[in-house]
Amino acid sequence: MNPRVLPAHPMSRRQMLGLMGAGSVAMVGTAACGGGSVGGGNDDEPAGNTSGGGGGGPIKVGLVIPQAGIYTPLGIDMQNAWELWLEQNDGMLGGYTVETVIADEGEGPDTGVPAIQGVLQNDQVDVLVGIVNSATALGAADAVTEAQKVLIISNAGAAAITGEASSPYIWRSSFVNAQVVVPMAEYLAANDIGPVYVMSADYAAGQEVVAGFIAAFEAANGTIAGQVLTPFMTTSDFQPFLSGIQSSGAAATFVFYAGGEAVSFVQQYAQFGLKDSIPLYGSGFLTEGGVLNGQQDAAIGVRTSLHYSTEIDNENNAAFVEAYQGAYDALPTCYAVQTWDAANVLNRALAQAPDLSGDAISEALGGLGEIEDSPRGPWSFNGQTPEQNFYLREVVEGDGGLINSVVEDLGVYAQP
Amino acid sequence: MIVDWFDANLVSILNGFAIGSLLFILAVGLSIVFGMMDVLNLAHGALYLVGAYLGYQFAGDTSSWAGFLTALGTAALVGLLAGGVLSTMTEPLARRPHLDQALLTLGVALVVAELLAIFYGNDVLRVVAPPGLNGSTKVFGDTYPTYRLALIGIGALIAVAVYVVVERTTVGALVRASVADREMVSAVGVDNRRVKLAVLGVGSSLAALAGVLGGPINGAGPGLDERVLILALVVVVIGGLGSIKGAFVGALLIGQVESLGRALVPDLASFVLFGALALVLIVRPRGLFGAPKAAV
Repeated sequence: MNPRVLPAHPMSRRQMLGLMGAGSVAMVGTAACGGGSVGGGNDDEPAGNTSGGGGGGPIKVGLVIPQAGIYTPLGIDMQNAWELWLEQNDGMLGGYTVETVIADEGEGPDTGVPAIQGVLQNDQVDVLVGIVNSATALGAADAVTEAQKVLIISNAGAAAITGEASSPYIWRSSFVNAQVVVPMAEYLAANDIGPVYVMSADYAAGQEVVAGFIAAFEAANGTIAGQVLTPFMTTSDFQPFLSGIQSSGAAATFVFYAGGEAVSFVQQYAQFGLKDSIPLYGSGFLTEGGVLNGQQDAAIGVRTSLHYSTEIDNENNAAFVEAYQGAYDALPTCYAVQTWDAANVLNRALAQAPDLSGDAISEALGGLGEIEDSPRGPWSFNGQTPEQNFYLREVVEGDGGLINSVVEDLGVYAQP
Repeated sequence: MIVDWFDANLVSILNGFAIGSLLFILAVGLSIVFGMMDVLNLAHGALYLVGAYLGYQFAGDTSSWAGFLTALGTAALVGLLAGGVLSTMTEPLARRPHLDQALLTLGVALVVAELLAIFYGNDVLRVVAPPGLNGSTKVFGDTYPTYRLALIGIGALIAVAVYVVVERTTVGALVRASVADREMVSAVGVDNRRVKLAVLGVGSSLAALAGVLGGPINGAGPGLDERVLILALVVVVIGGLGSIKGAFVGALLIGQVESLGRALVPDLASFVLFGALALVLIVRPRGLFGAPKAAV
């Protein structure tokens, strides 16, 4: 309904130099080798090391992320991480000089699918990265498969993307909706938390999360005190649903909300006095990124499960958080890490693939094995989507504001 | 038995009054402007949004009375001015169908909402209630946000003020006279356009005030304008056009439907609002307090 206006994207000097550099290298490559896509067959090049420069020439990557609409903050994090990775790696992926084409995904498939088709057809990109919205990812699956180009989804969490609607060309560096909450369900059941009330926004992702949580929780002999799905995007007063929690006799509440709804819910949960009597648990997106600024003190003590936290204790994460903070004056989010890792796996796969065809890159992605240097900890592709560690996180007051501290490593989980 | 039921649902009922109060402040302006001045102002929701962002601007970081009152004062002023602009813009359309006014004001609303989104970004921003109202209070053993209790009082005050002005003062008589017979009012030497200007100004001002007052509950963010506009239109339709009593009763009714109704049948949460609207339209198409001629 809203007319979409692209926010201004001032090009930094660094970006400008990067693009100019890409142009000149590409020209040299063409002149010297008489073709842009010859090299890259540097099989013995250690993965992750791009300094050798496989002589691969240019590669065009389409970064399709939301630049307008409610998901814009996620798009910014994703673009930041992508640019940071390129900057730290001389603008190269697997020996190829990267030219990034950014397209606006918007809020839903009505804008997202044409954006993907646009970069495939008009810009003739070699690889696609991005996609926040699951409906967009599913809607574009056919176009991507037909074009035989690799798409690395760096957010959208619908199970079907790497499940019943999977494509050999579509990979995911993020998570699966239910995968995020199964570890939490098993943790709560193992700790005899008591009856749990389950709440979520009423849309595809929310339904997947609720179904996944309830199935895992009941399988581990947990009791569901009650559940309700609240109208998506039209609920700003949660009071009517909060009284349902109180009267259900629940010992804990588990919810899935994101963005503005996460802010309102967490605040009202505290205002109506539930936070002190019935502890609040959630999927990690409840307290991830910018929403913490809106929730403030109401979020302190809220526990969530996610595959990332800025507080994960490993060297790669420390270096990543420091570099990200230095560059953007903000803490990275899981959306940033997912895109960072998309660049990481592309880098490895391109260094091994004999050419830039979708089949070659897909095959190389399938043979990557463990990605040992991710800020989220080691992970690997299993069914084209990460098998990774999940962490129990608790919101605490940090030095520069609220952070998600890591309480416990919940173990490794694959797509349920 | 009934006591138990009340005890269990006390918070929801109380909350219904708080939401209803906010809805009244929002909808009464729309009702007067449409019902009395015959201007269908779909920019009403955008004015609420402007108020909400003013709330964030002056009272978004810390809890302070100075910030909150500044936001209220600025919102009242901005609302008055915006009402004046809207009145001027809709003047050439006065003799044309409502659809033309709707298109114009909807266009204004879209532009304003988009400008706000560009300026403030797409995150939902918060507005902090002033000190003293920022916490929670025990009401018969249940915890309830103090600010929402205060909102019930503010809504009642504004209701009384609007009622007294329209029903008991000369200015109010002039407004009512303009509604009853516009030609006769101009015949006795009163400029109709000035009455319209004043009514739109005050109505818009109330919408912007509602935006600040609703800030601690709804925050400020994209899409809020459309949500509140629909609620306000529902209140006006249920209460009846141009009736202050109707807007008051309609707002309280919708407040309860949105609060108690959703609490009692959470699975039908999306439908209770429009279910109530449909019921009123079937039983009494002109609204609960609408004048028969207003039923168009």
